[in-house]
Amino acid sequence: MNGTAAVARYTLLELSRRRVLLVFFLVGSLGIVGLGVGLRILYSLFESNPNGGFNPVTNQFVELQFVSLIRSALGTFGLLIAYGIGMTAIYHDLDSGAATSIFSKPVSRFAFSVGKILAGVAALVVIVGLLAVEARLVMLLFGGGYEDAITEEVLATVANTLVVMLIVLALSTWMNNIVAAVVAFVYYNVITGVMTLLHSFVNSNLIENGVARAVIDVAYWLFPHPLTSSIPAALVRAQVQAGGQSGQSSGPAAAVLQGSGPGDIAWWAFVMVFFAAVVYYSVRRRQV
Amino acid sequence: MAVVSVKDLRKRYRAGDPWAVDGVTFELEAGEAFGLLGPNGAGKTSVVKMIAGLIHPDVGSISLFGSHPGNPAARAQLGFAPEDPDFPKFLRASEILDYFASLLGLDEAERKRRIPETLAFAGLDAERRQIRQFSKGMKQRLGIAQAILGRPKLLILDEPTADLDPLGRRDVRALIERLKQSGVAILLNSHLLSEVELVCDTVAIMGKGRVLKEGTMEEVVPEGRNLEDVFVELFQAASPKRDQLPSFIDEGQSR
Repeated sequence: MNGTAAVARYTLLELSRRRVLLVFFLVGSLGIVGLGVGLRILYSLFESNPNGGFNPVTNQFVELQFVSLIRSALGTFGLLIAYGIGMTAIYHDLDSGAATSIFSKPVSRFAFSVGKILAGVAALVVIVGLLAVEARLVMLLFGGGYEDAITEEVLATVANTLVVMLIVLALSTWMNNIVAAVVAFVYYNVITGVMTLLHSFVNSNLIENGVARAVIDVAYWLFPHPLTSSIPAALVRAQVQAGGQSGQSSGPAAAVLQGSGPGDIAWWAFVMVFFAAVVYYSVRRRQV
Repeated sequence: MAVVSVKDLRKRYRAGDPWAVDGVTFELEAGEAFGLLGPNGAGKTSVVKMIAGLIHPDVGSISLFGSHPGNPAARAQLGFAPEDPDFPKFLRASEILDYFASLLGLDEAERKRRIPETLAFAGLDAERRQIRQFSKGMKQRLGIAQAILGRPKLLILDEPTADLDPLGRRDVRALIERLKQSGVAILLNSHLLSEVELVCDTVAIMGKGRVLKEGTMEEVVPEGRNLEDVFVELFQAASPKRDQLPSFIDEGQSR
């Protein structure tokens, strides 16, 4: 346990000094403030000129726009930070030769792997968490009411980015960290992105062919797929309502954007354990 | 019981490649300084890395304090200063030693006592920069510092003075002498034959993964000769001619 704690502690210290993560965090936090203030100013302009030829804009609608944009921003910055951590936390120790000194000490490869993973998880949760807290504070500009939407979205974002981080960590013990990031991107963001989209079409009966549905269903459960909060569907419904249309017309879109169920969450937990085990196996096999 | 016992050690990095280490056998007792010599690519670093549990032998066995090198308890008694040492680059020297002291299981009181003294020995006590700003020599001194931090019973030094200035080399020689006297076994892997001759009791000369000559310093180096003579004799016949300079060197001189 001593070894795990020491590895985690000093990995966190190192991560806190990496400029790339600091830059991602600063750009993310400035972006969130900029989005909030920008939308608020726009809303004020619309409010002061109700006959300017725009559709009616309500405070609620603007806040929904902000929540929608924040979803994308948190997802993007969460991913960038996950790649930043995944590409450096273990790879630099192995690549620089630091691992030679570390592994000659009485620390098991298991303790080292667990320490690295814990540090990565902690760093990711703290950075994305801080961005989320900031987003919640910025929402006060709009009078509030949708704060819980951010919380649920943050949980989904952290869960998804943790998987990406573990994939990059595992791959970077086998190959160059940039190549590892590219492979992880193609695997997680492209292949599984397509699978998730197709699966949502199956769920909403947009694909009716039985064979295609079965194939997509199987493929969906073979790949790690991102967890989605119930917020996207709720946002679509609320935006349609705020825009003055009936809630019924949002049906198909909201159906496509269903939130993840217990099965997805269990699958996510399995994927996390699986990739953590791959990280350990890769570190254990690695000769330095 | 021998501190480290190596029997018929073989290692190759890829199937089909020649053996990097081919049937190496030796033992090292407490208080003994053992020099492992050989030209580049002889397999010296592979041997010490196998002893430190960093790479696994394909054939043969290693006993480190009566245990397998993979056993953390055995490695707790080992200090290893690698060739071209490096460390997490955003940490400072004192943080690196604290990190490694934690891995060694030293309590806080012991860490507070040992770390400043070890940093002072390495001449890094006033250094506040991060490792990424260190020179090669500073990293080498930190490499030696972290190796002695746990008061090891076996100290492996892989080219410990390659990047050190003459003062640093003198300090390392003094360290080896002091540790030997206190019963620490030293495994020194070096190209600096004069240095090995000064501090080692026994020596093994490796070539192409095999031990070509082994024994006490007196057995290996006949009277009136030195280790360099023996080394050159062993490898001269097998090595390509290097006394002829590339032709373009002379062209530059004649213009």
